[in-house]
Formats: sequence, structure tokens, C-alpha cells
Amino acid sequence: MKKLVLLFLAASALVLTPAHAQIPFSTNSKEVPTLAPMLEQVTPAVVNISVEGTRVTQQRLPDAFQFFFGPNAPQNGTREQPFRGLGSGVIIDAEAGYVVTNNHVIDEATDITVTLKDGRQFAAQVLGRDEQSDIALLKIDDPDNLTAIAIGDSDDMRVGDFVVAIGNPFGLGQTVTSGIVSALGRGGFGSDRLENFIQTDAAINSGNSGGALVDLRGNLIGINTAILGRAGNIGIGFAIPSSMMNDLVAQIIEHGEVRRGILGVRGGNLTQELADALNISRTRGAWVSEVVEDGAAAKAGIEAGDVIVSLDGRPLHSFAELAAKVGSMGAGRSVTLGLLRDGDELEVTVELEEHSVEAVAASMHAALQGAQLSTLDNDQGVRISAVEDNTPAHQIGLREDDIIIAVNRQRVTSVGELRRLLDNAQGVIAMHVRRGSSTLYLVLPN
Amino acid sequence: MSKAGANVLQLFIKPALMGLLVAAVVLAVLSYLNSDPQPRMTPSSSVASYADAVTKASPAVVNIYTQSLRQGPYDPRPRNSVRLGSGVIMDDRGFILTANHVVSEVDEIRVALQDGRLLAAQMVGSDRLTDLAVLRIEADNLPVIPQNTDLQPRVGDVVLAIGNPYNLGQTVTQGIVSATGRIGLAERSQGLGSGYSDFIQMDAAINEGNSGGALVNSAGDLVGINNASYQSQLTDQGTSGIYFAVPYQLAYRIMQQIISEGRVVRGYIGITAEQHYNSIQEARGLLVSAIDPEGPAAEAGIAIGDFIYAIGGEPIQSVNQGLDLVAETRPGELLEVQFYRDVRPMVAQVQIERLQHQ
Repeated sequence: MKKLVLLFLAASALVLTPAHAQIPFSTNSKEVPTLAPMLEQVTPAVVNISVEGTRVTQQRLPDAFQFFFGPNAPQNGTREQPFRGLGSGVIIDAEAGYVVTNNHVIDEATDITVTLKDGRQFAAQVLGRDEQSDIALLKIDDPDNLTAIAIGDSDDMRVGDFVVAIGNPFGLGQTVTSGIVSALGRGGFGSDRLENFIQTDAAINSGNSGGALVDLRGNLIGINTAILGRAGNIGIGFAIPSSMMNDLVAQIIEHGEVRRGILGVRGGNLTQELADALNISRTRGAWVSEVVEDGAAAKAGIEAGDVIVSLDGRPLHSFAELAAKVGSMGAGRSVTLGLLRDGDELEVTVELEEHSVEAVAASMHAALQGAQLSTLDNDQGVRISAVEDNTPAHQIGLREDDIIIAVNRQRVTSVGELRRLLDNAQGVIAMHVRRGSSTLYLVLPN
Repeated sequence: MSKAGANVLQLFIKPALMGLLVAAVVLAVLSYLNSDPQPRMTPSSSVASYADAVTKASPAVVNIYTQSLRQGPYDPRPRNSVRLGSGVIMDDRGFILTANHVVSEVDEIRVALQDGRLLAAQMVGSDRLTDLAVLRIEADNLPVIPQNTDLQPRVGDVVLAIGNPYNLGQTVTQGIVSATGRIGLAERSQGLGSGYSDFIQMDAAINEGNSGGALVNSAGDLVGINNASYQSQLTDQGTSGIYFAVPYQLAYRIMQQIISEGRVVRGYIGITAEQHYNSIQEARGLLVSAIDPEGPAAEAGIAIGDFIYAIGGEPIQSVNQGLDLVAETRPGELLEVQFYRDVRPMVAQVQIERLQHQ
């Protein structure tokens, strides 16, 4: 009988080894379940991010000043206000020093400092960022002996799964909180945003932004981004799923910016009322109300009235989810969409198209509207691949085949870099352009 | 069992390869031996998750939307006011439990199922003192919440709150039972303050819109009906980690009464009492601090200052327990009350009346 007891101890050791990387269920054994062993592996990959910068605020003086002081009146001007900010980030590539965080953490920052859990500090640069999805990729200067996080598949998460949030709330220092997945596919809060959040009740607060949401294996399944509630955490927090982050980061690494894929449909959620009206037996999916002419969807044969029910074999819950997934995938990607048409289920393969290039240029600076931009292969600048007549870009003097090599005497290496320089530039912008064998300066109006 | 154990033992001392097999066998035996009803790992993956409990329970939790035309104090034109809540489908006849404050004084109640169906609901009845209401919908193939009538929540049990906070869509939050039998935290005439509802206290976050939704355990069984209307009384910001639910057993009893009689009938004894430790008798009980002169207790001879230690033969430990015993006695029935007047033991037969003004 003694031997039998021994056997059970040995066996329970075997059984428990995986179990306590797991969970706080009640246990009758002496060992208390804990997340500590998993967290010891993972937490070095989560960093604190502190930023500094100056925020330019427009100051408009009342007209009365002009009236009283005449030409000596103080000028309407910009006021520069220094600011500091705190957030979190996740190391996803130790060799290259890549750190993922939220765009809103590093927005407008001029100096970014990454502090590791072991106390070491590094300066970091922004490699690329995407406002609509709120993802930014940083690169640590001279990375040395970093720990990267393992990236999990957020598409495998289910409501009820345990998750752990790791970050730097209120600048307290690294903090770990636990909860479960409360819901999936949350979105539709901001109309022009790409949102497909994982909702969690793990406590997330200001400063957690950009930090990690991991599963019980320690794999990254989300980037903590937002909470509901003004006063602080009320048990409703949101994280960008790791699958979406992966797609965006891959584009930033490749192009220096996010090149959004375009499906070319408009629509909304399939609601009960709509389903009744259209005589559809389902109530979950993205309903297509309009197909953009000559767009990717039109080419693949998608028609107005179709209901898109799945993307690459995964069921879709809402139109916002479709928009977020497609919008983070990147141009050129092929996706398989499951459709419901007149009661029949069919599948189509769509190659996502590039966001109209003109829109890309116009979104950087109003004066670039009408120009098409492309990064030169050897990172020697940004080439103007076309300029439409009678557009602002044409008016400031940009011509086809011009190459933008610098903005305000800072080198331009890529489209992403050009966007960053234009974003950060203040006042008049002087663009250094190479045309054939000569160079010239073009001035962009303020 | 010992024979199976001996077989396992033989296998175990054989070469290392066999070890894996042993582990599998022992794992099966261990999980069989374990009488604890809580699930640990889902069979589909090795990582613990409450996904299975959520899958079982969440389809039966509905979103409730109410509409009412209200006349403001200054504007004579009626305004349309919309309120939000959650509810739990209790059986396949379409009876839904929810919080009374979600559905009281409204003109229209609509229920949204998780499969997308949107249905009109009828009010069956309500009970202000426990802040519960029963609705009914007419539909086929209704998902019903798993229930275990023997379930007794214990402090430390894992619970999941399911509901529709702020109309975000169905949301599941997790926590533990922090306390049971919470009463009288606030001076109120209904719900938590009424003394008629021994709330479960928990730390699973619930918010506006969660009221009336389900609190389930890790097996998906209904533990309580969430009530989010007390947070603001406890903290200014409502972010305290202290939340409440009406226990399932109480909610079920109230629902049965509402379904069969359209309302809840409670017994009335006509005393006000406070919990008291009588050092002479070395016993806990209730000290009568006020008495309704026309009430049943006064009629049966009970007076202010009496120390009640048993009602209906049951020793009384708390005001709440006494209140429950009286409330559950049908009006007209006799209830035996045992008490001390000074040091003299006495017994009174009290004919319980019906509680008015609920």
C-alpha cells in the first residue's frame, strides 16, 4: 500500500507540472496553483515606455486685440507645450529590437525611452504607425540581450478563457492582472477606426496601453488598448487581437507604413430586421449594401445584397469585424470569403487592392494631393510615380519621376519616413527634390 | 480500486516508455477520484478555461430593452425613455427572471436573444422587496439556463457574470463569491435594504445593463440574478470590486410564487428586532425593540424587551433568518415563537398575517 501512495505522488507530480502553469481552480493537493512560473518567462518581454515631446496648440486671439493694438497686436500663433507620457510595450523581436505599442502612446513624441523589467533603458525610434488601428512599431537603438514574447493565435481564443494583462498602469511599474475573455469581435466605437477588440475583465488602466494580454501559456494574444469608463477600470477593457497586430506589423516592417487592403464594399451588420426583410435565416454577419465599381469585391463577383459570413474559414460577427480584419491585412493579400446569397452558401477568393495611392499622399499633406508615391528600392527617397494635372501637388511644382530626398534637411528614405517627417514638421515645409541630374526645393504652404 | 492500483504499480516500474501510459491511466483515475464538482481543464485544450460553462449558460441570458413615455416635471410633452437590462430564461415555457428595476413602470418590454431573435415580452409579476420580476416570451427552441436546485454558493467559489453592460453586447466577467447573506447595507425599502433578500456579494464586475443577468458557477449552473443598482451607493465611482446578486434559490422561490399567484405573499408578525447575544442564557437571538400594537405578535402576548431564540422550532441566529421564516409562513398559519422574558422561558403561538404595502 505504501508503494501505491508513492506511485500516486510521482504521478501527481507528472500531472501537476503542466497544471500549475495553469490555473486558480480549487485544488486538493498541497501545491497551490499559480501563474508565477509562466509570468517569470513572459514579463521580461513587456516594457515601460516613456515619451517626451512638444504638443503644438493653435492659439487664436480674439479679434478685439487687433482692434485695440492695430498692427502691433500680438500675432495669432502656435504655442508649444511640452508633455510627457507613459505607456507599455511588448518586445516581439529580440534580435531586431522591435517593440509593439499603441499609436496613442507615442503620438507626437520626439523622445521615446524604453525601460526593461531589469531596469535597463534604451532610446527607441518609431518605425511606423497606424492611427486607425492604434498600432505602432518601435525599434530599440542597439538592442542587446532582449527577451521577446511568443505570439499566440488570437483567433483561437474563446469567451471564458483566462487571460493575463501585463503593463505599467499609472506608471507604478510592471503590474500583472488576471481575468477572462469577456467577449470577442467588439468594435464600432469610432467610426473611422479599425476595431475588432478582445474584451476582458482583467483590470486595465491608464499606462497599460500598449502592454500585453497573454493566455495561460504566456503567448501574446492581444495589445491592451482601451477601457470603458471615465473613472478607471470597471471591468471592461479592450485589446487589439494579436492576429491583427501581426498583419499590421508585417506591413510596417516591409513598407515602413501600413498599406491597407481594400475590399470595395459598403454595408452594415446583419440585424434581425434586415434578415427578416431579406428572408435570411441567419442573424450574424456583414451585409453588403453596395459594391464599389471595379473594386476587388466586384472583380471577385460579390454583389450587393450578399451577406459575408466568414473570412478565411472563421465566422464573422459584424461588419466592423470584417472592416478591421480586411483593413489590417494589407494590400495584395488574398482572402477567402464565405457568402450567403439567396439562401445559397458560396465561397469567393478576393485579392485585396491597394488603398488608392493618391489618398495616401493627400492624407500626409494637403499639398500632396494628386501625387502618387512609392518608396525607392534602395531607400534613397520617395519617387513620384504620377502627378495629376490641376491638383495641389501639380501646383506646388511636383512632376512625375521627381524623387523626394529630404524634408526640412532631414533625409527621406521611405513613404513611411516621409509621413513621419511631414507629421512632425512645423511651419513652412521645404521639400528637397531630385529631378533628373539637378535638385530643387519645393515649399509646401503651411 | 486497490486492484486497479496494483496493476498500475506493475506498469510503473517497467521501463521509461511505459511511464507515459501510466501517467495517462493515473490521470484518469485521479480525475475519477476527485469528487470536487468544479471542472478543471476543458477536454478540447490543455489550458483551463470557462469557455464550456459560458457555452452552456450564455445563450439563455437575454438583453432586455424597455420603453416608456414619461412626462417630465417641466415639460408637459411626454418623452420617450429607454432602459437597458439583462434577463435569464428559466424554462422552455418562456419564463424569464430579471431585476424589477429594469422593467418596472415601463410601457413596452422587448427581449433580444443571443441568436438574434427580438421578441416582445409580457410582464408576469414582480416583487419589489427582492427587486425581481418575471417576464414571459412566446417562442420555440428557447435555450434554458442550467440549474441545480441543491446548489449552495460558498465564499471562494468562482462565478461568471453574464449580461449586457452599457449595451456593448453580451459580456462575461469572472470573479469569486466574496460573501453570502449580505443584507441591509443601505437604508432602502427594496432590494438590498429591505432585509428580504440575502444577497450574494462577489467581485465579478457588473455595470449598468447587467442587472437581471445571470451569475453562474464554473459548471454553468445558475447561482444568482445580478443586480447592479447598488454599486453607486457604495462608492462614488462604482469601481469597487463589490457587486451583488440575488441568490438562485430565493429567486426561484419568488419566481414560482409569481407564476402561480401573480405576486409574492409574505407573512407578517409585527415586530422590529435586532440581533442580540443574551449573556445570561448564553445564546444568540433577537431582541424585540418595537412592536406593532395591532399586530399578530402583540396579540399573542409578545412585548418589547423579549428575547426570541427560536421561531417555528428553529434556533434564530440573525434578523434575516427570522425575517425569512416569517415571510415564508402562509398568512393564517400558526408560528411557534420561543422567547425569554427576563429569565423566564415563554412560548407564544402567533397567527401570521399577510404583509401589506410591499
